[in-house]
Amino acid sequence: MNILIAALCGFLYFIGTSRLGYGLTQATGSPIFYGMILGLVYGDLEKGLIIGATIQLIYIGIIFTGGNMPADQSLAGIIAIPIALQTGMDVEVAVGLAVPFGILGIFIDQLRRISNSYWISKAEKYAEVMDSKKIFHCAITYPTIVIFLLTFVPVFAITLFGADAVTTVMNFLPQGIIDGFGVAGGLLPALGFAIIIMVIGKRDIMPYFFIGFFLVAYLGVSTMGAAAFGFCVAAIILFNSMKQNGQEAG
Amino acid sequence: MSLEEVKEQRVLTDKDLKKTYARWYLSVEVSNSYERLQALAFCNALSESLKKIYKDDEEGYKEALMRHLQFYNSEGTFGAVIHGVVLSMEEEKAKSKDESISEEVITGFKTGLMGPIAGIGDTLIWGTLKPIILALASSLALSGLFIGGLVPFLFPLAVILIGYGMLKSGYLLGKESVVKLMKSGLINNLINSASILGLFMMGALSSTYVKISTPLKFSFENSEPIVIQDILDQILVGILPIAAVFGIYFYFKLRGQYYNRLIMWLIVISLVTGFFGILQGS
Repeated sequence: MNILIAALCGFLYFIGTSRLGYGLTQATGSPIFYGMILGLVYGDLEKGLIIGATIQLIYIGIIFTGGNMPADQSLAGIIAIPIALQTGMDVEVAVGLAVPFGILGIFIDQLRRISNSYWISKAEKYAEVMDSKKIFHCAITYPTIVIFLLTFVPVFAITLFGADAVTTVMNFLPQGIIDGFGVAGGLLPALGFAIIIMVIGKRDIMPYFFIGFFLVAYLGVSTMGAAAFGFCVAAIILFNSMKQNGQEAG
Repeated sequence: MSLEEVKEQRVLTDKDLKKTYARWYLSVEVSNSYERLQALAFCNALSESLKKIYKDDEEGYKEALMRHLQFYNSEGTFGAVIHGVVLSMEEEKAKSKDESISEEVITGFKTGLMGPIAGIGDTLIWGTLKPIILALASSLALSGLFIGGLVPFLFPLAVILIGYGMLKSGYLLGKESVVKLMKSGLINNLINSASILGLFMMGALSSTYVKISTPLKFSFENSEPIVIQDILDQILVGILPIAAVFGIYFYFKLRGQYYNRLIMWLIVISLVTGFFGILQGS
């Protein structure tokens, strides 16, 4: 693969996992965003977007509880999308390529957080001499340099040297394994949704999950349509409960 | 006392608050470590404002910096209200000079509120807002629309607006009103209805995007083959996706949240069932 494109991938992965900006990397590290940029680079915007969105959906429900990263959607995207675009790989095969890297990315994040323990002990020394500039560097500059090394280098190397090897392996995969990755692409989004239910699903409001589910299953309502119904239902509940509270107070 | 009057008596201006928020917003997760999580980002966010608050009191400034390097972890958007309140408390401490606001009160407030606030933020921001925006982006991108790649940016935009609003109101309203608000029914009502919206959408999204079915069929002589998926659909449409979601849910409930192990298992299950034609991904 072209050195420039490999460098671009390394840079995109760094931007997308730097964590600079709270929630910003949900956009700059989104496989859809990667798909858009790389689709433009390879001159096939539509395919880039479709592969990106398919990978995004696997990780759509993931929450970092306690700062722990359950899977790395950015690494999954930045490895699979350019290789798929370059070789004309099917979407299912691209998913198969993405998923293992989604797991590998967790270790990069763990290395980052382990190395950050060093900066906080440094910052404590700077706090004692009241050097707020150095505290700033410990909080932002130094960890960002470490993150750059941890993210740019492996992605640059894999996309530059590994693309051909990966493509050869992927090309020799038997159809049965490819079908298996197709199942994984359809099954893994369930993981994210289950995580969200763990966070927000109290028993007395669980029926709303099933209303949403069967609204789509039986009536085929689109995502936007479901959001419209959902907002109305939530608004009714909110207004009613506020009225009740008001009556109790009055 | 009106909000304008409160503002005039305060040390920090809107500009200081914006700077504080910018420093927080940039660094929340950058320096996140296993040892103290967001502590360094918290201290870094407040450091310049603390310098202004303790401008003639070097010892006080130093103690404040050390104080805010202690363990801290919450949700970053709604959590910014804690920064606001803490700044107002530090200001009071600097003004009063005596021990009416002790270090324990400030630290106690932080550690007492970070858990409940994280619950609110995880529900509203990460459990509801994020998946809805990303689902919208995905469905646009799947239709090949360019805008799908840009829609995810709505999420950080919302985070910035809400987060700064939280920090500012925390600073101006102070501890009492925030605690009162937390105890009032309003926040609970808001969380409840946001959770309802979130669950409703998770249901809809599970139905749209968890795509598994079975290609199994049994053929008998002289008759139509029996297609298992047709039978399942007659029982309940979407029975396999719903079984998948709740299978994972109960695994987490019973076994604990071992994501990596479960992801490995799901991939093994996918490969085996796909290989033998028991399940298919559509």
